[in-house]
Amino acid sequence: MSDSRNLLTEMAEGLFADLSGQDFESAWPKIEEAGFAGLLVAEDQGGFGGDWGDLFAVLRLVGQFALALPLGETIIAHKLLADAGLARPDGAITLTINGNRAPWGRNAGHILRAENDELALYAADAVSAEHGESPADEPRDKISFTGAALSSASCAADVYALAALMRVSQAAGALDAALAMSIEYSNDRVQFGRPLSKFQAVQQNLAAFAAEAAAVNVAGQAAAAVLDNGGDAALEIASAKIRTNHAIGVGTAIAHQAHAAIGFTMEYALHPLTRRLMGWRSEYGNDAYWSVRLGKQIAAHGGAGMWHELTARSDALIAG
Amino acid sequence: MQIFSVHPFNPPGDIAALRKKVRDLVASHESGWDPVGRANCWATFDTDFSRTLGKEGFLGMTWPKKYGGHERHPLERYVVMEELLAAGAPVAAHWVADRQTGNLLLRFGTEEQREKYLPGMASGEEYACIGLSEPGAGSDLASVRTSARRTDEGYRINGQKVWTTGAHLCRGILALVRTEEGSERNAGLSQLMIDLDTPGITINPIIDMTGSHDFNEIFFDDVLVPHGALVGVEGEGWKQVTAELAIERSGPERYLSSHALLAALIDAVGPEPSDSIAALIGQLTAQTWTLRQMSMSVAAKLAGGEDPVVEAAIVKEMGNAFEQAMPRLVQAAVDHSVELGDDALLAQLISHLLVASPSFSLRGGTQEILRGIVAKGLGLR
Repeated sequence: MSDSRNLLTEMAEGLFADLSGQDFESAWPKIEEAGFAGLLVAEDQGGFGGDWGDLFAVLRLVGQFALALPLGETIIAHKLLADAGLARPDGAITLTINGNRAPWGRNAGHILRAENDELALYAADAVSAEHGESPADEPRDKISFTGAALSSASCAADVYALAALMRVSQAAGALDAALAMSIEYSNDRVQFGRPLSKFQAVQQNLAAFAAEAAAVNVAGQAAAAVLDNGGDAALEIASAKIRTNHAIGVGTAIAHQAHAAIGFTMEYALHPLTRRLMGWRSEYGNDAYWSVRLGKQIAAHGGAGMWHELTARSDALIAG
Repeated sequence: MQIFSVHPFNPPGDIAALRKKVRDLVASHESGWDPVGRANCWATFDTDFSRTLGKEGFLGMTWPKKYGGHERHPLERYVVMEELLAAGAPVAAHWVADRQTGNLLLRFGTEEQREKYLPGMASGEEYACIGLSEPGAGSDLASVRTSARRTDEGYRINGQKVWTTGAHLCRGILALVRTEEGSERNAGLSQLMIDLDTPGITINPIIDMTGSHDFNEIFFDDVLVPHGALVGVEGEGWKQVTAELAIERSGPERYLSSHALLAALIDAVGPEPSDSIAALIGQLTAQTWTLRQMSMSVAAKLAGGEDPVVEAAIVKEMGNAFEQAMPRLVQAAVDHSVELGDDALLAQLISHLLVASPSFSLRGGTQEILRGIVAKGLGLR
């Protein structure tokens, strides 16, 4: 990890630990103040100049601390606006992609609409938000456009895929956090005269969980590396989201099994991780969406061509 | 907590050219290969092809030139290995010698042992097998009872090894034996490199449930080997074997040895599959891609001198589970007109791998042992 990424994650870790559990109104101003919105915007455009690997690292922490904020959405919106040469307003910006529900649509100052290779930026007073909630009770609002856009531009980026990578990154952190909680609980909780962690059945389950969390972490970082190399990353993000959706199914089940009843209570801090994870499986592409899309892309290459495609794409990343 | 940190995969040299060289080699030999054998290809012996790989400089790639090696970077070797596996090339004959025995001799062996064994391994003409399991020592390797007593003439060996893949084709076996009389568990063990034509050794075949003869049982009846057969330090065998297992567990063969089935599925359904088959291809691709990223990261760490025991165990466990699930998933999803018993390649590969796949999570450490290693890494034991 680079020095600048270490500094970034240290700063994020300290701030996010404080903001964990706070609602949008109290937490967002501190995010704004720290300047995370411009993470992916070049320094000469007034941003932080970070890369997609930095985004993965920051959003991984957003997931780890179960932040109830549209931070990834805002960072990606700023990147898209800057790339399109459009002005970047202050405050939270949420995304609605191909008519999908907008996270914190009711709270965000602006809404970036991505549809048919077009971007359009709306102020909150030019939309109405029909309220809805994710399984974690986060706002997921249906946006209707009642006024004119502030600005618009064409957009070549696959915004849906970028949003999928956002959820992969958050899931990597949330799975690691749920795993750490499960390990700690199993080491502390004594039944039958010994800690749960001494039971092989418990060990085997947590080892399987660790492998799933590892897969998501590796997949997310590998997909981000392709974006940072200038590639389209469609194959990699599809793979990472499919792998993540699978890992969430396995990981949340084992986390709850390890904690038993206490983990099923509102008081205990497992559900802010697992409820979010459960919802993210659907967001920006469930298993069916990405696997059909990826399968068709791969089938077009043929049996031998599939391997040639995988290797050519990764070879392009090898430092010369 | 992050138990699997990512390490960049940066082999030196022209990797595209290296891949092309391997692909061209495969293309000029594949017409003679059994199509079904390509689906579990590191269990498929082909000594002619092993010699060809030796001639082309694809064996002993990282070893010093004075032992017949080629002094290439470990990640160049990784690229060659993954190309051969993805193509379903028959690599079983030389696999153990090239992957672990040769490396172990380089690390712990005497000059005499290196000069004796490495050139033949690098030319693809001489092979080696792993002498760990015994009737009473499978997952519980520290229960090894085969004894080697030091005498004036050399070591006198008595006992039995089992599940010894390829022993009937190999020059030597690197065996874990008990050199200290009365020692217990992982103390008092040593590694001996034993020529299999030494008097007193009997090798009997064990036919596996696919009908293949890969396994053997080996009896040692008062076998005398010279003192020079000792590899490394007497009594340090356990430590050396642990190092050997880390190398054994982390390679691309742990997720890629059945890749031929996925390629055959894609070819069988054509460029525009139905949504349900496309979804299966997408799922299998996502797993393959992710496992490859993980495997490459472990390889890069090993090449950098790190010892990623937990990561290697994760890759093997997940890779085995994936390879084991694949024939079942394909069987469940393909058009019902693909009947097992057909000549169609896809039907034959499904049949073969359904039967072969139970071995995937046994060889090189069972799923339970691997998860135990991961659990220990998590601080659970």
